[in-house]
Amino acid sequence: MNGTGTGTAAPSETELGELRAAVRNFLAAKSDEHAVRTAMGSERGHDEKVWRQMADQLGLQALTVPAEHGGDGLGLVELGVVLEEMGEALLPSPFLSTVVLAATAVVASGDVAAAERLLPAIAAGTLTATLAVPDHAGSWDVGAGLRVTATGGRTGAVLDGIAPIVLDGATADVVLVVADGPDGPALHVIDGDAPGLARTPLRTLDPTRRMARLDLDGVHAEPVGDPASLTAVLDRVLDVATTALAAEQVGGARACLAASARYATERMQFGRPIGTFQAVKHKCADMYTRVQVADAAAREAARAVDGIEGAPAAGIAAAVAHSVCSEAFMAVAAENIQVHGGIGFTWEHPAHLYYRRAKASQLLFGGPAVYHERLLARVGV
Amino acid sequence: MPSEMDEFVATAREFLDANATRRSGSADLPEWGVGEDRITYFSTDPPEVDAAKVAESRAWQRTRYENGFGWVTGPRAYGGRELSTLHDLVYDGLEAEYDVPDTGVLSLIGLGMIGPTILAHARDHIKDRYLPAMYRGDAIACQLFSEPSAGSDLASVETRAVRDGDDWVVDGQKVWTSVAQHAQIGLCLCRTNPDLPKHKGITALLVDMSAPGVEVRPLRQMSGGADFNEVFLTGVRVPDDHRLGEVDGGWRVALTTLMNERATVGGEGAGPAARALSLPFLTELLRANGRLDDGATRRRLAELYADQAATEYLNHQAIRKLRAGTQPGPEASVSKLMYARNLTRGAHFAAEVVGPRLIADTGEWGTYSWTELLLSTPALRILGGTEEIMKNILAERVLGLPKEPSIDSRSPFRELRRSGTAGS
Repeated sequence: MNGTGTGTAAPSETELGELRAAVRNFLAAKSDEHAVRTAMGSERGHDEKVWRQMADQLGLQALTVPAEHGGDGLGLVELGVVLEEMGEALLPSPFLSTVVLAATAVVASGDVAAAERLLPAIAAGTLTATLAVPDHAGSWDVGAGLRVTATGGRTGAVLDGIAPIVLDGATADVVLVVADGPDGPALHVIDGDAPGLARTPLRTLDPTRRMARLDLDGVHAEPVGDPASLTAVLDRVLDVATTALAAEQVGGARACLAASARYATERMQFGRPIGTFQAVKHKCADMYTRVQVADAAAREAARAVDGIEGAPAAGIAAAVAHSVCSEAFMAVAAENIQVHGGIGFTWEHPAHLYYRRAKASQLLFGGPAVYHERLLARVGV
Repeated sequence: MPSEMDEFVATAREFLDANATRRSGSADLPEWGVGEDRITYFSTDPPEVDAAKVAESRAWQRTRYENGFGWVTGPRAYGGRELSTLHDLVYDGLEAEYDVPDTGVLSLIGLGMIGPTILAHARDHIKDRYLPAMYRGDAIACQLFSEPSAGSDLASVETRAVRDGDDWVVDGQKVWTSVAQHAQIGLCLCRTNPDLPKHKGITALLVDMSAPGVEVRPLRQMSGGADFNEVFLTGVRVPDDHRLGEVDGGWRVALTTLMNERATVGGEGAGPAARALSLPFLTELLRANGRLDDGATRRRLAELYADQAATEYLNHQAIRKLRAGTQPGPEASVSKLMYARNLTRGAHFAAEVVGPRLIADTGEWGTYSWTELLLSTPALRILGGTEEIMKNILAERVLGLPKEPSIDSRSPFRELRRSGTAGS
């Protein structure tokens, strides 16, 4: 183990197990399949009552917010457990946009004023937020020009342009926007109801994860952090976000594996359970193998991002996890439909919801061509 | 306060410093274009080189044993330390930093699998006789399990053992026997009662490999070398006190061996093949062939590296679980499946980059030398349990899927159809 970790101690398995049980019980009660489908069809795409209960009963939004800003100051190892459970239950929620993308960007920016304004409210569950990186390729390539520009000074800027696909962009209370300014690309924050901002909800492949287009026409914005450190900030956000997503993908993949194993045991054809046929049995074993490897990759990335002793470099482990978990979830979600046969292709069966989530997650930060190159860049090839 | 593990590490470090040379930094990584142009998986050395290496292995094992590191997990009575599997792994990790002889010829089969089986099932005087000899490096053990008609279906072994006074008389043929050419003893599964179902009529005997009637013939494999053997047993007499477990109770003995086989899997990340498929070496391969900027090649490299890294992470996780006191279960075979897959894909990736210079030896460094690895990788999906059997085990034992209906577990062995011919 070529350790680069700074020596942070890992949380105990007992503590993680308790956290997992609490989240699992909560989601079993609040986010069963019926609840997921209801949220899917609702205007805002998620149940706001569940969002508040998540904060009030479990304090999940506060988990990784630094202690000085009203949070618990925990790391990705703990957050990963939460996201794995959310992924397994397919919870529709602005958690990834608010707690992972926006809060991480604010913390990484080192902007104390922005942190004091936004993080306590995020931790309390009273504020939702998101991050828009409106590059041309959809791969966080901010060096190649952005579709939103910023004019004005350091105390107040004006944003113009288009952010074509923004996670939870239609409902977020505040939006962090990376815009091209006089000093190059820089992070800004705007209010969700700011004058000049038009938010258009988009049709989405994955109905459990909402996207919107933002049109900005002279929108007032506050700069966040120093533009000189933007690349480092976005690298950190990407490491954290892909690591968090990896945990969610493992949860989704695990749900597909469990569904297939159950169905292969129960479904009778030719007078015997289909799981006795090696064609089906080996498919399930392959799914299990992919889930185990993805699980290890996601956990290693979380340890790396948290700087736990003995863990590999965060940038490498996060890129490995993003690639491995994206592909594992996609493969397992597809095979889950195959194991189920015809019933797996129906609208009322949940298999397609995982399939949709798997593909949308795989492409969320650019997709295979982008994440493979990103991995090679991180290892210096 | 130094923990018990810290003390163990300090003692081991002291021993290694006194008896071996520490490697310098990255000396282990092969350098592109430098040195011998060979990428091996199996040993394939000429017999005299092979014999010299075995002698070095034995000598290093003796040094380990005399300093209390010959059998970290073993009982003190047999020269062990009575420590955990984790200690064993920690020791291996430390030793990997030193330039010492590879002891695979002793450890992979004998010390890793047969030793624990003898410990669990042999009579005391047999343990006294063989265990110290094995862990001191004097006795190499092999596993006389597979037969031409009993591969994945190991319980259908046909080698017969018939009782004659205080002895058993063994007749039959074993195959794919690693290290038999060097071995002093072999653990042999024999059919002792064909009127019982196949799992219930097997007896495990510890065979003296120098006994009359034991003939070891090298088996040349598709990659060209002969790393395995056929073992012919003709009227071989084995004293009954060399029996492990009960008469007709040999399947339980075999399971002990196979469980230890699974436990040794996963620590296979090193070796020349893994080093040749490491990212720095493959990057140089691409550079030398002008493919470093080719998008399709880069994609395949990234996919390969991601899977290699994730497999390594899986092993880290297994070690963390050991550290937390969880024994590895059948899920350990995931690591083996991935290892075979990564090496196979890696060999084919290198072949694609090298192109036609892999089909004919032009003498150019780093081209034709990939053939040996390419020709070795099919074995990885077969040896130590075929992929198909591993997947059955994962699906049935971990995921709880139902077993295929079978008739051959209940019928007397002699009534089963074998090798495509009707049993009489």
